[in-house]
Amino acid sequence: MTETRDPQLLRGVLPMLVLRLLAGQESYGWELVTRLRDAGLADISAGTVYPVLSRLEREGQVASRLVASTSGPARKYYTPTDAGRAALARAESAWADLVHVVAGVLDHHDGTAVPSHAPEGDR
Amino acid sequence: MTSTGRADRIRLEWYLARLSWALQDYPGRRRREVIRQLRSDTLAAAAEVGMAEALRDLGHPVALAEGYVTELGRRLPRYTSGAVAAALAVGALVYLSLAYAAGTIDTLEALGGGSVTTHPLGGEVTFTALDGELSVASSLSWQGGLLHAAVGAVAFVLVGRLWRLLG
Repeated sequence: MTETRDPQLLRGVLPMLVLRLLAGQESYGWELVTRLRDAGLADISAGTVYPVLSRLEREGQVASRLVASTSGPARKYYTPTDAGRAALARAESAWADLVHVVAGVLDHHDGTAVPSHAPEGDR
Repeated sequence: MTSTGRADRIRLEWYLARLSWALQDYPGRRRREVIRQLRSDTLAAAAEVGMAEALRDLGHPVALAEGYVTELGRRLPRYTSGAVAAALAVGALVYLSLAYAAGTIDTLEALGGGSVTTHPLGGEVTFTALDGELSVASSLSWQGGLLHAAVGAVAFVLVGRLWRLLG
């Protein structure tokens, strides 16, 4: 999929996606970026992911450990903490609810209905 | 796999220096962690896509810094801007004092020379313009010191937006 996404749409769900991927396999920052791209977010930038990762760590939702690298400085690998896994469960539940509501609106409203608050003369 | 040469390391360090400058009001320990983590991850990225692409992927250092500050979830005081404003404000006060002294000396010279003593803010300032002597002698007073400190402090608080520390 090459269509450019609205960054605002992605911003809200990015922490959830990061936690989900890290729950499956611990990763360092750049590796996580490539995994997100491989998952379909081809246009996501490292500059978008790293600040989110930093916040998740600061909030105690991910823990990190340094692993020596043969090709440079030690890499920081991240994995979700118990608090992160709980936050992930809540986020996934909230996302499922939102998808349900949004799908319902998109399925049952074609966009031509007159708003209920419109003046009588406009109806 | 792309090798990372000296020029690439310099480009990376230059980028990180600009980022560090843009993050200068970010909490110190966290800023160092951010820089360390970015250095490691960008070198890993550069090994795959080249340093130019890896840096392009990070975006402009100022924009990246804004991303980190946004994710911090609170607005930060601008200590550096506040300090610069305080220095400028105190400097302006000193400049005005010097300009006043120069004007007074010029006036004394125009009047044929002499000496005059004033007592601004509890201190004592003596202006002298005699043949072969142009001088200004002053004593410090706590009121004068307080005025300079207050001007600097007000500029620091207002420009540095220190009220952001409250929440």
